[in-house]
Amino acid sequence: VTADPGITPAEGMVAIDPRPASIWDRAARRARVERVVAAGARLADPRDPLGEEVRRRLPGTTGLSREGVELALTRHLETSATDEDLDALLSRCARARRCHVVLAANVCTAAQRALAVATATSPCVLLRPSRRDPVVAELLSRALQGDALFARWGGSVELIAELDLAGAEPGQAQGDIPAQELHIHGTDETVAALRTMAGARAVVRGHGAGLGVAVIGAQADLPAAAQALADDVVPFDQRGCLSPRFALVEGTAARAEDFARALHGALGGAGARVPRGPLDDAVRAGIAMYQATLEALGSFFRGDGHGVGLDPTPRSLPLPPAARVVHVAASSAEAARSLLAPWGAVITAIGTAGGGPLAQAAWSAAPRARRSTLGDMQRPPLDGPVDLRAF
Amino acid sequence: VGSIEQSEALHSRVRAFISGARLPLLTEGARGATERAEGAPSAPDPFDALAIAVARYQAAACAPVARLFGARGVRAGELQRADQIPAVPCDVFRFARVATHPPDADAVVFRTSGTTLGAGSRGEHALRTTATYELAALSWGARMLWPDRDTMRVLVLSPPLSEAPDSSLGFMLDRFAARLGGPASWHVRGGALDVVGFARACGEARDAGEPAIVLGTSFAFVHLLEAQGTSDLTLPAGSRAMQTGGFKGRSREVPAEELRRSIARSLGVPLPCVVSEYGMTELSSQLYEDTLARALAGAPEAELAGTRRYVAPPWVRVTAVDQETLSPLPDGEIGLARIVDLANVDSAVAIQTADRVRVTDGCVELLSRVAGAPPRGCSIAIDQMLGGAR
Repeated sequence: VTADPGITPAEGMVAIDPRPASIWDRAARRARVERVVAAGARLADPRDPLGEEVRRRLPGTTGLSREGVELALTRHLETSATDEDLDALLSRCARARRCHVVLAANVCTAAQRALAVATATSPCVLLRPSRRDPVVAELLSRALQGDALFARWGGSVELIAELDLAGAEPGQAQGDIPAQELHIHGTDETVAALRTMAGARAVVRGHGAGLGVAVIGAQADLPAAAQALADDVVPFDQRGCLSPRFALVEGTAARAEDFARALHGALGGAGARVPRGPLDDAVRAGIAMYQATLEALGSFFRGDGHGVGLDPTPRSLPLPPAARVVHVAASSAEAARSLLAPWGAVITAIGTAGGGPLAQAAWSAAPRARRSTLGDMQRPPLDGPVDLRAF
Repeated sequence: VGSIEQSEALHSRVRAFISGARLPLLTEGARGATERAEGAPSAPDPFDALAIAVARYQAAACAPVARLFGARGVRAGELQRADQIPAVPCDVFRFARVATHPPDADAVVFRTSGTTLGAGSRGEHALRTTATYELAALSWGARMLWPDRDTMRVLVLSPPLSEAPDSSLGFMLDRFAARLGGPASWHVRGGALDVVGFARACGEARDAGEPAIVLGTSFAFVHLLEAQGTSDLTLPAGSRAMQTGGFKGRSREVPAEELRRSIARSLGVPLPCVVSEYGMTELSSQLYEDTLARALAGAPEAELAGTRRYVAPPWVRVTAVDQETLSPLPDGEIGLARIVDLANVDSAVAIQTADRVRVTDGCVELLSRVAGAPPRGCSIAIDQMLGGAR
C-alpha cells in the first residue's frame, strides 16, 4: 500500500502518509495501538512464553504478591478495545515524528497504555522503562519488536537507558507535526525536571502522581458499595493514581461507620484471595501514625493486610498511606466541596455508587478526573491516557 | 469540656513545677534535671504524677484524647507512669480541635504554617491561657540562651507578632524581646527581609558596645546571608544567635552545620553561640542545643564540638519510640520523638511526632529522615502535598 507518491515503502512495508488528514495515517495509528493491545494479551496469557516470564519476574519488581501480580495481568492489561475507545484515544493523541516515553513512577501494567498512546502519537517510540519495575515495558517492547504486523504499519519501539532528546535526529517538523513528543509518567518533580531539560526540543506531556476518590451516595447499597470499593483498592495494592484513597459517604456519621465496617469486611475477604504484598519499614511506620491519628479522630479498623480509618466529623482529609488503607469520612455535598478543594488538582479518578448530590460535588471539585462506577475505577477504557488532567 | 477551675488548678501546679525545678548545670547529661532545687519554695509534683493528673483531666475533657485512650484500652485512672499516656500525633491538631475548653474560652490559637492543602489543614493549638506557655518559654530560654545576662539587644528575623498573631514562634520571640528589655527590632515585614535595617541594627549594637541576640528562622538566616553582600553584620562580643525551623517547602535547603558556620562567621560570634531551637505549634515548651549554656558553664571547647544535642527542660520528657509500634525504646536507640510536655495543660500532654531522634541520658539528637526507597507506583504521597511546619 502506498498513499503518498513521495514516500517509497520498503519491501513489504506500508508507506505511511504522516499528514494528519490522511486516512492511511489514521489507519496506521489505529493498527499500531491494536498491536499494543495484542502484545498485552500475550502477557496476560500464562501459556504464552511472555506470559510465563512476566509472572516469574513481576513479584520481585512490583512488591505485589503472586496473586496481586496475577490480578494485575489478567484484569488490568488491555486485551481488547472497542472501536469507540480507540477512536477516542486517537483523537486525544497529538502527532510527532518521534515519541519518547519515560516511565519513572507507575504501576506495573501502566507501560501498556503508555505505549498505546505513544504509538498513536508516532510510529517511532523510544521507551525508557522504570528502573525499579521495567518488566512489563521490556516484555511489551519485545513482543512489538517481534510483531511483523506492528512493523508493517511503520511501528518501532526501542528501549533506551537514558533520555536523549538531542540524539538520533528525528527529522524536521512537518507542517503541524512536531519533531518530538516526550511523555513523562512520574512524580510532579520528575515531570518538572524533565520538562525543563526538554526545553523547546520536544512537546512535553506530563503525567504526575494522583489519587482516586470514592463517593457513596445516599441511595447506595452499603455492602455492595463496600465490595466494589474493595475491588478498586486491591489492584496494585492501592499504588496506582486511580486507586481510591478517600471514601466520602453521604449522610450521617452512623452511616459512614456502617460503611467503614462493611469495607473492613470486604477488604478482609479480598485480602484472603489476593494478599497484600510485603510492606517496607516506611510504609509500616506510615500506617502506624495514620492509625494513631484516626484513633484520635474517630476509629481505625485494622486487618491483616488492610486498614480503614473513619472520621465521622471531618474538618479536612488526612491522606492514608497507599497500602490498602482507606480513609472514610461522613460528608454532605456542601461539606465535600471544602473537603475536596485542596485535593482537586491531584484527583485522577472518581468512582461513585448511588450518584446524587455528593457525586456532583466531587465531580465539580475535580472536573478532569476520570469518572466511573465504583468497582471500575481501575479499569478505565483504552480511550486515552489514564491521567486526563494534563495530557 | 473540662471546668475552668480544674484547668486553672493544673496550670498552677505546672507553673509551680516549672518555677521550682532545678535547672541542669549542663556540664553533664540532662538526666536528673527534674530533681528539685534545694530549698525550693513549694513542693512540686514529681513529673509522672503531674503528667498523669493532666492526662486524666484531658481524657475526661478533650474528645480526641478520650478517643485515643479508648482505642488503646487505657484507663486514665490506672495510669502509673507518664510513658503510659497515649500520645496524640501532631497531625491530629490539623484535623480536629484538641482542647479541653470551648472555642469561646480561647486566649489564643496558634496555627502551623500553611501547606498546599490550604488553610483548612493548618494545625491549631488553642490555649485557654498563655501564662504557663510564657513561663515555660521564658524560663528555658533564659537558661539556654541568656543564662549570663538579664538584658540584651534583640534582632528578630521573623515577622512581628502584629503580622503573625497566630504564630507560636512569633509569640515566643515577642516575649523574649520584652523580657530582655534592650532595643528590639524586627526585620521581616510584609514577607520581605530588611537586610539594610538589620545591618543598621548590627551597627547600632557595635556603636553601643552592647551584645545582641539574633532570633530567627533558618530560612530567614539563609536569605540574610545570601543578601548580605558587603554589609557588616558583625556584633559585639557576647552576642549570640538562635535559629529554628527546617526548610520543608522552601526553595533552598542548606546543611545544618554549613548554615551554623555561616551564621557564626557573618555575625562574628563563636560557633557554640549559634544555638538551634526545636519547637512546634503543638507544644508549649521548647528544646535547645546546649552549646552556649555549656560554654558559659565552663565546658572546654573541645567538648562542644561534635554531635549537637538538644536538651529539654525539666517539665518536658522526650522518649524515642518504635516507629511501627509507637512503644518506648531503650536509651540510645533511634525512634520517633514522643514528647510529654507538662505545659500542654489544655490540649494533649503527650505528643507523638514524626521526627527521628536518639535520646541518650536525657539529651536528644535530632536525626534526619531516612531516605527510604522511593514510593512505588503513581499514587500520590503525603510528602508531595505538604510543606511548611511551625
